[in-house]
Amino acid sequence: MSKLERRDILKIGALAATGLAFPAIVRAQSKEIVILGLWDQTGAFADVGPLNDRGMRMALEERDMKVLGRPIRYVTRDGATQAGEGARFIVGPWSSGVALAVSEVAKRKKVVHLFSGGTEDISGSRCHRYSFQWAASPYTAAKTVVDNFMKANPKAKRWHLLVADYAFGWSVEKYVKEVGKTHGIEFVGADRHPLGEREFSNYVQKAAANKPDVVAMINFGGDAVAGAREIFNFGLTPKLPLIMSWSSGVEELVQLAPEIRDNLWVGTNFYYTADTPVAKSFVKSYQAKFKLPPGYAPSAAYSMTRMLLAGFDKAKSDDVQAVVKALEGLEMNDIVGPMRVDGATHQTLRPYFFLRCKPKAAMKHELDFADVVATGDAPLPKEYAACKDIGSF
Amino acid sequence: MKKETILLLAAVLVLPLVLRPAIASEIWIFAIFGLGLNLLLGYTGLLSFGQATFFGSAAYVAGWLLKHYGIDVFLALGTGVFVGAASAALVGYLCVQRSGLYFIMLTFALNQLFYFVAYQWTSVTGGEDGMPGIPRPAFLGIDFREPLPYYVFVSALFLLSLWIMKRIVESPLGRILQAIRENEVRAEAVGYDVARFKLAAFVIGGAFSGLAGVLYAMLFGIVPLEAIGFVTSGNVVFATLIGGSGSLYGPIIGSFVFIWLSESVSTLWARWPLLLGVAFVIVVLFFRGGVVEAWSRFWSWRSSKPKT
Amino acid sequence: MSLLAGQILNGIATGMLYALMGLGLSLITGILNIPNFAHGALFAVGAYLLVTLVGAIGNFWIGLVVAPLGVALLGLLIEYAGIRRLYAAGHDYQLLFTFGLSLILAEGIILIWGPVGISHLPPAILRGGMDLGFTFYPKYRLFVMVVAGLLVAATWLFLEKTRYGAIMRAGIENKEMVSLLGIDIHRLFTAAFALGAYLAGIAGALTAPIRGLSPGMGVDMLGIAFVVVALGGLGNLLGAIAAGLLIGVAQAVVAAYWTEASTVVIYAVMAAVLLVRPQGLFGIR
Repeated sequence: MSKLERRDILKIGALAATGLAFPAIVRAQSKEIVILGLWDQTGAFADVGPLNDRGMRMALEERDMKVLGRPIRYVTRDGATQAGEGARFIVGPWSSGVALAVSEVAKRKKVVHLFSGGTEDISGSRCHRYSFQWAASPYTAAKTVVDNFMKANPKAKRWHLLVADYAFGWSVEKYVKEVGKTHGIEFVGADRHPLGEREFSNYVQKAAANKPDVVAMINFGGDAVAGAREIFNFGLTPKLPLIMSWSSGVEELVQLAPEIRDNLWVGTNFYYTADTPVAKSFVKSYQAKFKLPPGYAPSAAYSMTRMLLAGFDKAKSDDVQAVVKALEGLEMNDIVGPMRVDGATHQTLRPYFFLRCKPKAAMKHELDFADVVATGDAPLPKEYAACKDIGSF
Repeated sequence: MKKETILLLAAVLVLPLVLRPAIASEIWIFAIFGLGLNLLLGYTGLLSFGQATFFGSAAYVAGWLLKHYGIDVFLALGTGVFVGAASAALVGYLCVQRSGLYFIMLTFALNQLFYFVAYQWTSVTGGEDGMPGIPRPAFLGIDFREPLPYYVFVSALFLLSLWIMKRIVESPLGRILQAIRENEVRAEAVGYDVARFKLAAFVIGGAFSGLAGVLYAMLFGIVPLEAIGFVTSGNVVFATLIGGSGSLYGPIIGSFVFIWLSESVSTLWARWPLLLGVAFVIVVLFFRGGVVEAWSRFWSWRSSKPKT
Repeated sequence: MSLLAGQILNGIATGMLYALMGLGLSLITGILNIPNFAHGALFAVGAYLLVTLVGAIGNFWIGLVVAPLGVALLGLLIEYAGIRRLYAAGHDYQLLFTFGLSLILAEGIILIWGPVGISHLPPAILRGGMDLGFTFYPKYRLFVMVVAGLLVAATWLFLEKTRYGAIMRAGIENKEMVSLLGIDIHRLFTAAFALGAYLAGIAGALTAPIRGLSPGMGVDMLGIAFVVVALGGLGNLLGAIAAGLLIGVAQAVVAAYWTEASTVVIYAVMAAVLLVRPQGLFGIR
């Protein structure tokens, strides 16, 4: 578990929250628009940082690093080193816990903040005028996953949950249980594991002891890979189906041997076979550069950046308030398909993907991990909405 | 006034002009932390590799009270000192019965215990994300939320801590501790209850660590999990050794070197702990007395050079 | 019932690994009398070397034999070039040195292999699980249990039954006596450190397919190794083995009922035992 070194972003965030200035290491020149990508280079999400960076860079380079006729300065600062540089536009970080802290900073400093992650609080109880959520709402994710899984496996009524003990885990778990109720699902067990856990044998044995019909994981990256492996090693899959509810898609699937992917069902914010023109061209360029097709991490960074750039275009200005107003209600067709930003909550309404993985025999090429069986874009119903008032500037 | 005092006062006055006040404050806070450690390491000969236990516990408890109960500055400081001392008493009680390697390993392992408790108890400590939102209440009407007023407060407390530590090491207690360091068996034979004195050193060291912890929490407005982790324990040991554990001022110099280096190098290279590790290895192999000894060696070398 | 039985099996498997780590550290601390804070990093290096070797030559078994030897070689180097100069230096400097080493090794791992966790599969023959009757259990973990157990036994036999082992044990008891008997104390120290490093390295190599690799994997193991040694008694080799197994099983059993407490319980057990018996479970006062 390497969870060191995120102290500094929290430090800076806290410093700013008490009204102190961001340290300005380099002054931005007046013509440049500074966009900050807060991607982790160290800590639990260190492997995701470089992926985010790729996606964001690609979106900026598509525009030749220019917007509104002015040059863009793209700054990356680790979630673990100094943020600042007079950036008024922040994308990231990846960690949903840290993002909540950054969101507070964005509110205090009045800077535009785009984030993709599973915590519903950014567009929920902690919503405010400056932060925007790109990822599908955990409700949308849960509904897409549960509804479509039950369509294919109507008899699987006993569910065991394995949840990362972190912001995104709690949100998705909550809605999986809510939606599950409507299907008459009985949750025979729900265990939380720490972020970065690698030793899943205990959790798997507990899951097995509950005799479920299906095991659903709500975790991410290395945790998901380790969990899926142990679930296979202990003989639960392929007899039982395994669901990865909030997966990064390709990046996780490529780490699993084909036998582990047998009877694996995946929910994800983006899968590379998405049938949209923007996705096709993005996937093609990404794969040409990096060999593997993009998963959720680089795609989210790519799409968020495009969203921000679209905001500049629509506002015809880089004034923070103008960009915020432009983003509210923004509609665009992007890699996931049609997206719309709900002005009242700053939640992006867009499709979530549900996949079924293929057995080895059915794979047409070595990256043909899964088929998209459905997408869902059911928005969070009003009765669950915790964002009562997005507030003023 | 002695040479060191003048230098120190000058440093206190000049530092915020040269560095950001927040970094300057961090240096003095870490120096307080180092003073506490050095009472154990330099004066009593006890290598406590778990000081973060007291530093972090104080930060969490005081931070909690500041955040949820809005206590005032005095109470916060007092809480920090108390929690630091109390946790040190607990840990010390278990540890002073052993010596040598056992002692070092025990302090480390108990530090891990506290660390994992803090890590798991997310409802209170925030776990991996730390405990944010810690306010800096005003002191006698002075608003501390700006960096400079807070710096004045921190540096004043540092000077006070240094003075107190000076009195302690020059007192009979201080001499007994040094006797224990020199020869524990003899001290015992002479009639001192060595374990009790070691425990006393622990508690005092813990109190200083606790004070540093509270000030740290208020400086950054957050208690990160690392504050109670072994890396912090290690940092204060290394800073003290680098400065020189043989003198009262060693930890201060060490704090300067360490904080300044880590703040500046960490922005340049994510792999800067590698350089830190290399620095440790070099110091150990060539500069064992730390900066203080290197400095005095340099001066004696200079004065011994033949004059032509 | 099956849950508890399965957990105990888990505990024995991890306990064997803990015993290996504790054994190695106990040797080093017992004979060399230094706090080896690089022990966890050596564990990590063993894991990374295994994965690299398997990636390069495609054979897990050869990798499993060679990787720990690589770590032993590293240990030899460290002792010869560094630690040897510090025997008179005092624990604080030894600690600073070994800790500096651990930083260099951990950051070095990141520089060479990147900060990303790497996952690694067991060799095909050991994948999946087998039905043991009372529970279904992964083959690889059974393999680890057996191999680690054999290693522990082999190390024990070496130390108890061979001449060189006797010298090592004597070195724990009384270094002066050993050198008075004409034995080269320096070679003893080097051998002890290399053996300790070997044990850490093979523990790491065995762990790699279970937990995957991450640069920080050594840090947690370090704490556990210290607990094992503190509980088992410094330099007490049988004690290290017993303590390792005890901790492994305790952790696994607690995890079955209160997962969050499973890491803390290791340290809590240690603190509780030491309160009652400051010398550890098997240490001599």
